[in-house]
Amino acid sequence: MSDAGSAWLVTPAGPVGYDRANEAMHTLAERRLAGEIPDTVILLEHPPVFTAGRRARVEELLWDEPSVEARGGLVRRIDRGGSFTFHGPGQLVGYPILGLGTKPDAGAYLRSLEEAVIRTCTSLGAEVTRRDDVQTGVWAGDEKVCAIGVRLLRARVTLHGFALNCDTDLAWFDGIVACGLPDHGVTSLSRLLGRDVTVGEVRPIVERHLADVFGLAFEPAPVDCARVFDSVADVA
Amino acid sequence: MTSIQMPQLGETIVEGTILKWLKQEGEAVAADEPLFEISTDKVDTEVPSPVAGTVTKLLVAEGATVPVGTAVMEIDDGSASDGLSAPPASSERSMGAAVVAETPAGPVPDRGPRSQILSPIVRRLAKERGVDLATVAGTGEGGRITKADVLAAAGGPTPAAPLGMVAPPAPAVTPASIPATPVVPVPPSVPAGAGEDVQPMSHIRRAIAGHMLASVNQTARAWTMVEVNVERLVRLRAAAKDGFQEKYGVKLTYLPMVTRATADALREFPLVNSRMQGEDIVTPRSVNMGIAVSYDAGLIVPVIKGVDAMNTAGIARAIADLAARARAHQLQPEDVQGATFTITNPGPFGSLISVPIINQPNAGILSLDAIHKRPVVVEGDAIAVRHMVYISMSWDHRLIDGELATRFLARVKHNLETWDFAEDLGL
Amino acid sequence: MATQQVEAAAAGHGAEPRGKRSDDGQATYLVAIAEALWEEMERDERVFMLGEDIGVYGGAFKVTEGFIERFGPTRVVDTPIAEETIVGMAAGAAMEGLRPVAEFQYSDFMSSGFDEITTVLARYHYRAGVPLPVVLRAPSGGGVRASNFHSINPEPWFAYTGGIKIMCPAFPSDAKGLLKSAIRDDNPSVFLEHKALYRRIKEHVSDDPEALVPIGSAAVKRAGDDVTIITYGAMVHKALEAAESLAGRGVSVEVVDLRTVYPIDEDAVLRSIEKTSRALVLYESFRFLGIGSEVASIIAERAFEHLDAPVMRLAPPNHPVPFSPPLEDAFLPQVADIEAAVDRLSAW
Repeated sequence: MSDAGSAWLVTPAGPVGYDRANEAMHTLAERRLAGEIPDTVILLEHPPVFTAGRRARVEELLWDEPSVEARGGLVRRIDRGGSFTFHGPGQLVGYPILGLGTKPDAGAYLRSLEEAVIRTCTSLGAEVTRRDDVQTGVWAGDEKVCAIGVRLLRARVTLHGFALNCDTDLAWFDGIVACGLPDHGVTSLSRLLGRDVTVGEVRPIVERHLADVFGLAFEPAPVDCARVFDSVADVA
Repeated sequence: MTSIQMPQLGETIVEGTILKWLKQEGEAVAADEPLFEISTDKVDTEVPSPVAGTVTKLLVAEGATVPVGTAVMEIDDGSASDGLSAPPASSERSMGAAVVAETPAGPVPDRGPRSQILSPIVRRLAKERGVDLATVAGTGEGGRITKADVLAAAGGPTPAAPLGMVAPPAPAVTPASIPATPVVPVPPSVPAGAGEDVQPMSHIRRAIAGHMLASVNQTARAWTMVEVNVERLVRLRAAAKDGFQEKYGVKLTYLPMVTRATADALREFPLVNSRMQGEDIVTPRSVNMGIAVSYDAGLIVPVIKGVDAMNTAGIARAIADLAARARAHQLQPEDVQGATFTITNPGPFGSLISVPIINQPNAGILSLDAIHKRPVVVEGDAIAVRHMVYISMSWDHRLIDGELATRFLARVKHNLETWDFAEDLGL
Repeated sequence: MATQQVEAAAAGHGAEPRGKRSDDGQATYLVAIAEALWEEMERDERVFMLGEDIGVYGGAFKVTEGFIERFGPTRVVDTPIAEETIVGMAAGAAMEGLRPVAEFQYSDFMSSGFDEITTVLARYHYRAGVPLPVVLRAPSGGGVRASNFHSINPEPWFAYTGGIKIMCPAFPSDAKGLLKSAIRDDNPSVFLEHKALYRRIKEHVSDDPEALVPIGSAAVKRAGDDVTIITYGAMVHKALEAAESLAGRGVSVEVVDLRTVYPIDEDAVLRSIEKTSRALVLYESFRFLGIGSEVASIIAERAFEHLDAPVMRLAPPNHPVPFSPPLEDAFLPQVADIEAAVDRLSAW
């Protein structure tokens, strides 16, 4: 087997504002595309934000924007596929920025992401599965514990990634028809396991499984790269 | 004329939707500039142009969903109209477009799950031809190493075709490949006679033979030596070895200390940690130290990954673990791959100076030979008896030059002569 | 009598197949088959033919035009529409030492004689030690808008049974040589003539009545290095067209024509995979349990260490052959589908 490829890991300490993180992710992806940096994975939390993908329809946001902002959240339309989803404290968000080569296999990449998350949940004692090829994500029965939404930069480098509910306040999901699927609920690892499962507990486990599934050997990203993520939450 | 098709973004993706044209008919486009946005059931992306030129035709409407492989756009890049798209690096024709951006090889290979798959023929050919798959760039989907990649790295397909069919012509050796060399040594012309025992070479022996010959044939091998005063190390070891054995359960030898000193020197002089890839120099950011171990089946070089982040005690344990597993034939494939530099230690067997063969594709290999007491000149021009050792390095002159090699060794010597290893031993 | 004469004239009285070659001496697939029948009928008196409309009418496709005039009604037997009886007669005649060649008007109708074929013909030698040198000929295959009663590829049914040799030639010279071999072989055989090829393919065919093509031998119809397409029947011609187009894009395709689908020439298939390491099995019998399923399994079992990519298959779904032209075109593998499959395979 080829040896593990060295990769950078960015793990900001506190929640990172969505706009700043999104911009930094795109910048890093451009650098990855140019071959300036190795594969990079960002693992962080966001302050409350609803993001709408390409397929999101406005009816799927059940609270209007002023109501969202009154609760301390933001609404953002972004360039990934998929519908509305929520990010917030207690949810581990992962942005793997990986080069998939000139002949990418997006389906295989999504399955690998699911696999890394499934292994993480399983090692904590939660029983989760993937669904069919159409509904990406990780599920416990009929409830989704981890959303996955991905985009490619110039068809070669991955953007966005996954959002795993650890001890997220699931009441936020009442504000949207999550992922455009009215019949499916959401859940969290804390709810599944009946105890408080924090992002801090889950993050090193996710790191390990991402490293295994994608064959990566993580080292911390250089300071100039990581610094851009250490910011206070964006103001709406 | 280059035809742009709806790209295949994955095996199960059969169609895509054009969300938006980013270039209109008549617009100039540079290589790798986004042409249009697509959405598939798995991912969205923008599709970059493989060539520089002018968009001549949009063949499909915005919002249309077409099967993968459908031609959706035509670009005039001055190439022949056989539908072949010119690779970005060779296309210099443009109509006012910016300078062609060559598809960057980059210091880091693209890596996806598919790149982890080694097909049966790839494994077999790599073994037969002595190709180190860690050095082969994969051109298959997702970065997978294909049969053609291995053959190119080995210098072309075998001349003898199976079962007498006409052999295909050998492909031109690409810049990415190592020049073709015979990997298996020519059999001796002296047949075995009476009074001689004949035994076929073991698989490992054949692999070693191939690797060594390839290394000698392919590298511009030079050699440098320094003499190191290891009096302090000898005294430290004498004082510390029992406590070390008790605390860590492994013997303390000089090899971990030399490894630690060498790892530091490799951080200081990263070019010595590098390798050639085609016409590029690939410099890993961390050090994976190969440690040559001799065992019953011959020679094997297990690798300590990330040795530059370890202290001497950790290195000692890693060496002991790898050597034990090597002798028990329990090493895994990943244990013997990925070395960026190698150390061999024939000293315990008594050699004074050695000229080792470079462990391909490294830039150098360091030899730690026997420590002997010798009369040496010390300060004040007095003669004293000190423990001395010759440390030498074979190095590849294609990659590094004499001054660098010498300064590197000088650094190793400096570390060994001046460091206080006691703290690093955790005692 | 009068009726017989009028109809004989309409059938082209005295029209020997040899006289039906083109001016430059090439024979169509149909003419090559007729020549084989004629030569074997002339060579061995025990050979006789039976089937619906083969005598006075000259055959639904005119393969046997002129035969009854030359060989008479006891050797060119017009039968009722009764496939089970046709096969039973052939089996019985073979037991008595004759060498029957039975024609089915369309391969789809062979299922009416299924029991006689599978229970009697295929097993009789095993049961009674008496060989039954019966040849069952039928036009098979689709792509001619004949829909699902007249387009089937039945070879998997009979391959499954065992005991019957099955040939699906793609070229006129192979058709002639294989039919002669089948008639001379003491085993029961099924000889399937792809109806789309009858008049569409022609080539120079040997005049030598002793020129045979061995049963169970495949042939490389196009040499290549990058990808092997293993196929048979009408698909061979589509594969060759795709290969030509792919060559223009720098992909070198080798096309292996099985010619006989039971038994399969495994060594020929494996030799090709050893060369290219990539296999596309292209077949017109349905995908599930079609002939290609067996070929793919053989490659996976015996050529695993030569493979650089998974073995891929391209075949129509297990579904009645559609009547509507666009649907039938979508149902059958087309040249574009073959090219796309080769592209996927070579990019793997």
